[in-house]
Amino acid sequence: MRIDAPTEVVQKALHDAGWTFLFAPRFHASTRHAVGPRKELGARTAFNLLGPLTNPARPESQVVGVPKPELTEFVARCLQRLGTKRAWVVHGGGLDELTLSHSLPPGAYAIAALHRIARRRGFDPKQLRGSTILLPAYCEDCSYQIHMPYELRMRLALDAVEFAATEMPRFHAFLEDTYYISDGGLNSIEEMALGFVEIREIVRALIRRGIDVDSFAPRIAILVNCRMDLFEEVAKIRATRRIFARMMREEFGAKDPRSWSCAITAHTSGLSLTMAQPINNVARGAVQGLALALAGVQAVEISCFDEAYRTPSHDSHMVSLRTQQIVQLEAGADRVADPLGGSYLVESLTDELEHRIVAMVAEIESLGTLEQVCDSGWFRRLFQQAMTRRAKAIQDGSETQVGVNAFKIPEDEDQLLRDHSESKIAPCRERIDEIRQFKQDRDAGAVAEHFARVREAGAASGINLIEPIADALEADLTQGEIAGALRLGVGEAYDPLRQMEPPVG
Amino acid sequence: MTTERPVRVLLAILGLDQHEAGAFAVATLLRDAGMEVLYLGRFATPEIVVDAALEEDADIIGLSCHSWEYLYYLDELFELLHGREISTPVVVGGSVIGRDDENEIHAKGVAATFGPSSDANEIARQIRSLAEARGA
Repeated sequence: MRIDAPTEVVQKALHDAGWTFLFAPRFHASTRHAVGPRKELGARTAFNLLGPLTNPARPESQVVGVPKPELTEFVARCLQRLGTKRAWVVHGGGLDELTLSHSLPPGAYAIAALHRIARRRGFDPKQLRGSTILLPAYCEDCSYQIHMPYELRMRLALDAVEFAATEMPRFHAFLEDTYYISDGGLNSIEEMALGFVEIREIVRALIRRGIDVDSFAPRIAILVNCRMDLFEEVAKIRATRRIFARMMREEFGAKDPRSWSCAITAHTSGLSLTMAQPINNVARGAVQGLALALAGVQAVEISCFDEAYRTPSHDSHMVSLRTQQIVQLEAGADRVADPLGGSYLVESLTDELEHRIVAMVAEIESLGTLEQVCDSGWFRRLFQQAMTRRAKAIQDGSETQVGVNAFKIPEDEDQLLRDHSESKIAPCRERIDEIRQFKQDRDAGAVAEHFARVREAGAASGINLIEPIADALEADLTQGEIAGALRLGVGEAYDPLRQMEPPVG
Repeated sequence: MTTERPVRVLLAILGLDQHEAGAFAVATLLRDAGMEVLYLGRFATPEIVVDAALEEDADIIGLSCHSWEYLYYLDELFELLHGREISTPVVVGGSVIGRDDENEIHAKGVAATFGPSSDANEIARQIRSLAEARGA
C-alpha cells in the first residue's frame, strides 16, 4: 500500500473502500514541518503524542494507540478537553508489534522470559510470535556448546516445545537449525540428514510423552543453510518439504494438513564468503537470495558481505536487506510458487537428494540411539572431517572460489572496501558494570531460593523445567546461573570452564 | 633443532569464539608438514594456554581467532608469559585480523600473523623457522 498517496487517490479510496489513510507529512498543515527535525533528533518527543491529538480532520470519534500504559488516561483527558465525543485510547503492551527470533541455545530461557514479560505487561502469551532454535543433539560438537549432558539438553528442548504447544501456540518453539551444524563444511545431504535425525528424535520423544502430534507439528520450522550451488540448494529445499510431509503423515500419523508442511527459513552461508575482494560477496548474496526465493522459503537472511572478516556492520546489513528486496520486488522471483518445478535438472536433483538424505538418516539411526551416537563422538568427527575436507578443496582448487583460488589479484591492489573492514565495533564495557550492579541490587534471598528450586527441578524427573526457569528469571537470576543450577542438579560442575562461582553456597 | 622430535604446536581458541574451521584447516596443514599439533580447543583462557604450553613443552603457541576478543586477551597472555619467563613464540591466525590489528599485535609481541589468503606452505615454513630459531 502506498501510504503517501495524493489527495485524489485518498478521496477515491474513501469513496470506493469506505476507508482511507492520511499521511501526516502530506496532509497535516503544521506537524509536517516537524518531520525533518524529528528525524534529525532520532529520539521520541512529544510529537509522538501530538500527531493523533492534532488530527486536522478533527474526527468526532477516534482510536488512539499510545506507547506506554500510563499515557492512556492522560491522552483520553486531552481528547475530552479537545471536544472528541467518543474515543478509545489503547496500549498493546509492545509485544503485539514484534516477533522475536532468538538464536542462542537452549531456547528454553527465551521462551520462559517472553512468557513472563508478556504476562507482566498484560499481554496474552498465546499471542506471542517468534522462534527459538532447538539443538539438543549437535550443539556440543559445533559452534553452540552449552556444556550440558545429552539428557539435560534434550529435556530442555522437549520441555520448551511442550510448554509452548499449550502456553504459546503461535510461537515457533520447534525450530530445527541446520545452518549452524553445516556451515563448517557439511554438504547439503549431510546437513538435512542430521536435521531430520534430530527432528525425528524430538517428535518421537514428544509423542512418547503423550502429546498430540498435531498440537506442535504445525509450528515446526527448519532454518537451513544456502551455499553457492544454486540448483542443488533449490533441490535440497524441495526434497526437504517432501521428506517432511511424508514423515509427518505416514510415520507420525499427523492428521492436520498444517502438520505436513514446515516453514523454512534460511541464512546464506558465511563459509561461502571471502576476505579477498569482499565486494564479490554482494554478488554471492544475490545468487543465494535468488536460489532461496526460487525454492519458496518463508524467510531469508542474506549474510553480510563483510561477514568473512569482521562482525557485520550496519552498512553491510543494509546491503543484504536491499539485495533481498531487489530479489523480491524488482526481479519478482517469489511471484510464482515453485517456478523451477518441472525442470528436468531440478526434478532429478530433488529425487536424488531426497533418496540420499533418507538413506543417510537410516544409516545414522542404525548406529544406535541418538544419545549413544552423540556421546561416541561420531558427529564431532563428521564436523571435523567436513572442515578439513572443505579447507583442502579450496587449497587444491577442486572447489573454485573466485578471488581465492581463481582470478586472484595481488593483496595491495585489493583495496575496494578495505577501509570498511578495518572499522570496529567497540566492546560495551558499561554492560559489564551494569550486570555487576544488577547482581548487587537484587534480592539475595529470592536468588538463593530460586537457585535451589531450579537445581531441585533439574535433579527431579517428570517436572517441566520452563516454569521453574521462568520463576527464577523473575527473581533476577541470570541465564548463566540457571544453567549452572541445572548442571548441579544433574551432578555436573556449576561452571565446566571454572570461571564462575555459584551465586549461593 | 637439537632434538629429533618434530616441531610441537599448541593450537587454541580464546574466550567465547566458537569458530573452529580455521583451526582445523591449520592443524591439518601443519600435520601434513610433519609437525605435531596439540589442539586445545575452544574456550581457552590465557592462563589455560600458558599452563598447557609449559606442560606440553610447546615450541609455538598458535591462536585461531574469528572474533575480536583475541585483541583483548593478548595483553593478559603476554603478561603471564613474561611473568613466568616463557619465551615461546605466539602466532595468531584468523579471518578478523585487519592491517591495523596486525601492526598493533606485532607491537604487543606476536611473532607472526596469518590470514585466509596466506599460503599453506608459507604458514608451515614460518612456523618451522620460528620454532627452530627458538631451539637454537
